[in-house]
Amino acid sequence: MIDADERASMAATVRGAIAHALAAGGQDADIDVVLAKLGWPEILADEPDDAIDIVFSALGAANATATALDDVVVSAIGQQPRADLAVLLPPFTAWGPPGRIDADDLRAQGLATGRAATARELLVVCGTESEPRCGRVPIADAEVQAVRGVDPDAGLRAVRVQARAPDTSVLEAAAWQSAVALARRAVAHQIAGASREMLELARSHALERVQFGRPIARFQAVRHRLADALVAVEALEATLTAAREDPNPDTAALAKAVAGRTAHTVARHCQQVLAGIGFTSEHPFQRFLKRTLALEGLFGSADEIVLDVGRRLLAERRAPTLVEL
Amino acid sequence: MGQVPDSGASLGLAPYRAELHAWLDAHREELAPRFSPPGTLDDHVAQMQRVKGILFEAGWMQLGWPERVGGRGGSPMLRTELGAAIAGRDLADPGLFSLIEVLAPTLIDFAPPALAAEVVPRLLSGAELWCQGFSEPDSGSDLASLRCRAAPEAGDAREAPRWVINGQKVWTSLAQFSDRCVLLTRTGPTDSRHRGITAFFVDMDTPGITVAPLEMLNGEQEFAEVFFDDVVVPADRMLGELNGGWAVAMSILPYERSSCFWQRIAYLYRRLQQVVEVAPDHDRAAEIVGEAYLQLHALRARSRATQHRLAETGTLGAETSIDKVLVATAEQTTYDAVRRLLPGTIELDDSGAGEVWRSDYLYSRAATIYGGTIEVQRNIIARRLLELGSDA
Repeated sequence: MIDADERASMAATVRGAIAHALAAGGQDADIDVVLAKLGWPEILADEPDDAIDIVFSALGAANATATALDDVVVSAIGQQPRADLAVLLPPFTAWGPPGRIDADDLRAQGLATGRAATARELLVVCGTESEPRCGRVPIADAEVQAVRGVDPDAGLRAVRVQARAPDTSVLEAAAWQSAVALARRAVAHQIAGASREMLELARSHALERVQFGRPIARFQAVRHRLADALVAVEALEATLTAAREDPNPDTAALAKAVAGRTAHTVARHCQQVLAGIGFTSEHPFQRFLKRTLALEGLFGSADEIVLDVGRRLLAERRAPTLVEL
Repeated sequence: MGQVPDSGASLGLAPYRAELHAWLDAHREELAPRFSPPGTLDDHVAQMQRVKGILFEAGWMQLGWPERVGGRGGSPMLRTELGAAIAGRDLADPGLFSLIEVLAPTLIDFAPPALAAEVVPRLLSGAELWCQGFSEPDSGSDLASLRCRAAPEAGDAREAPRWVINGQKVWTSLAQFSDRCVLLTRTGPTDSRHRGITAFFVDMDTPGITVAPLEMLNGEQEFAEVFFDDVVVPADRMLGELNGGWAVAMSILPYERSSCFWQRIAYLYRRLQQVVEVAPDHDRAAEIVGEAYLQLHALRARSRATQHRLAETGTLGAETSIDKVLVATAEQTTYDAVRRLLPGTIELDDSGAGEVWRSDYLYSRAATIYGGTIEVQRNIIARRLLELGSDA
C-alpha cells in the first residue's frame, strides 16, 4: 500500500519525467519509453489504482501521448502486458467487445493506440458483453490506418480485422467489465488532468490580460466562468475517488460520463476566457481541447453512458445510491 | 435502549447503518406520518417533532452529540446517517429536520455550558423548535451589512446585565413555531461590518417580538418576518464574544455544508427513485433520468469526500462553496427531470401526490438562492479557491 506522501512524490516524478521528455523531444518524444523506465508495468501490476491515477492524470496534464491504455486493458483481463501487444479498443463511443466470430471468421472493428503501428500482435475481445472471448491475431492480419481526425497527435488508429478466427479463450464476463471499468477510469483521469490544465491556462491568462485598464480576472462574468469550470473539475475528481473507493462497473461508468461533461464545460468556459489567443494554434489550449474531444469517445461517450444508465434505472425501476459515508 | 449502540465509536458506519435501518423498519408504523399528502406546514412540523421525540426516547437522536449537552458521543457522522435515513424514508422534511445541524452546534460551541446543556436536549427531543435570525430586508447575500441593533440597557457594554434589541429579520424559517432564536445583531458602529456583530439566543416569547409569516410561491408559510421592538435579553444569552458574532455565523458553515447536504442528497435520491418508478420507459426518458442520476452521483461523491475531510481535520472552508453549487444545481436538475418525465403533474395534477410534486418543484427554484446564492458561491470560489484576487 502506497501512502499519501509516496503517492505525491511518485506523481511529481512522473510529471517531471514526462515534462522533461516533452521539452527535449516535443511531440516526437517516446513517452512509453519514459513510463517503462519509471517502472510503469510493475506499478500497474502491484498498485493499479495508484498507477492509473498518477500516470493518466500526468498524461492528461502534459497533453502527452502514450499507449499505456493497452496495458490497462490487458492486465485487467488477467494477461501479461507486453510492449509488442496492442489492444483492439471498441469503436468510438462504444464499449462492447469489438470482435465477432462467425464460424471460422473473425471480424472486428475499432480503434487502437499508436502501439498498433509497432506491435506484433493484436488482442481482440470478441462476442457479447455477457459471453466474451479473447484471442490474438498477428498484426499483419489487421488493417491499421492512422487517424488524423481532430487530434493527429493522439496517435489513434482505426483498425479493421477480417481473418481466420484465431484460437480464443473464454473470458469471464466480469473480466471484460472490469477491463472496461479500469479503462474508463484511466481515460477519465486523463481528461481530468487535461481539464485542470485548461483551467490553469485560462486562469493565468485572466490574471495577465488587461482590458479596460484592469486584468480581466476582475470581471465577474470571467470569474464566474472559471468558478464553474473548477466546480466541474472538482466534481469529476470526486467521482474518480468514488470509483476507486467503491470499484465497480457503475461507479467507473459514471466517472467516465462526468469526465465527458466536465471536459465540455471546462473547454467551453476556458475557450471563452482565453478568447482570441485561445483560438490560435500557437496557444497550448487548443491541444487540450482537441485531445479531450478524442478521449471523450473512448469506452463510451457521456451521452451513450447516460442513456445506458438511464435505461437500466427505468428497466429496474430503481435509482440506488452508489456510495455511502 | 439496549438495542442502541453505546456511542457508535467502536462500530463502523455500515453496521450502524444496518442496525438503524432495521430499527426504522421495525418502527415503521409508529414513525409514519399521520396525515395524507400533501399535509399542511403545521402537519409537517408536528410530524418532525413527533419523530424526533420517538428517536430521542429510543436513544438515536443523542448519537453523535457530545455528552456535555446530553448526547451519547460518537462521530458526528452517526447523526448524519440518521438524518439521511429520515429524509430517505420521507419521515420528516430534510430542510426542517437538518436545522438541528445549524443550530445545536452554535449553542454547543458558543453558549455558556450550562445553557447549552439545558437547551440542546430540548431541541433534539422535539420539545422545542428554534429558528435562525440572520437575513434582513437590506442584508441578504451581504450579511455583514445587517442592522438589527442590540444596545446595552444601561452602562458599559462589557458589564451590562441586559441588552435591548430593535430591528427586523426576514426569511426566518419556522419563526412562528419557534421557542428560541439564534439572532445576529449589530453591536458595533453602523459601518463596522463583520467586526461589529454579536449573536444572542433569544426566547421567542419575550415581549416585543412580532412574527409575520410570509407566503412562499408554493403557498406555504415556511418563513417569516420577525420584528424586534425593545426586546430585552439577559447578557448571559450572548453567544460567543461581544462583537464576535461573525465567527458564530461562520461556524455553522461546516455543518450546513456537510451533514445537511448529505440529508438533502438522500432526499433527492428518494425523489428520483419515486419518479423512476412511474416514468415512461423510452429513450428520451432514459436520457433525462440518466442525466439527473449522474449529477446526484457526482454530488454525493463530492459530499462524501467533504465529510471525510471534516472528520479528519475538524474543519472546512471555502471549498464547500463547490458543494453548495453542486447541491443547488443537482436539486434543480432533479425537479426539472420530474417536470419533463411526468408532464402535467406539476402543472395540472390536483391530487395529493400532485400537490407534493408541485410544492417541491416550486421550492426547488430557491435552491440556487438560499444559504448563499450561487453567485456568491462563485465569487468565493473565484477569490478563495482560484485566487483571482479582488473583484473590485
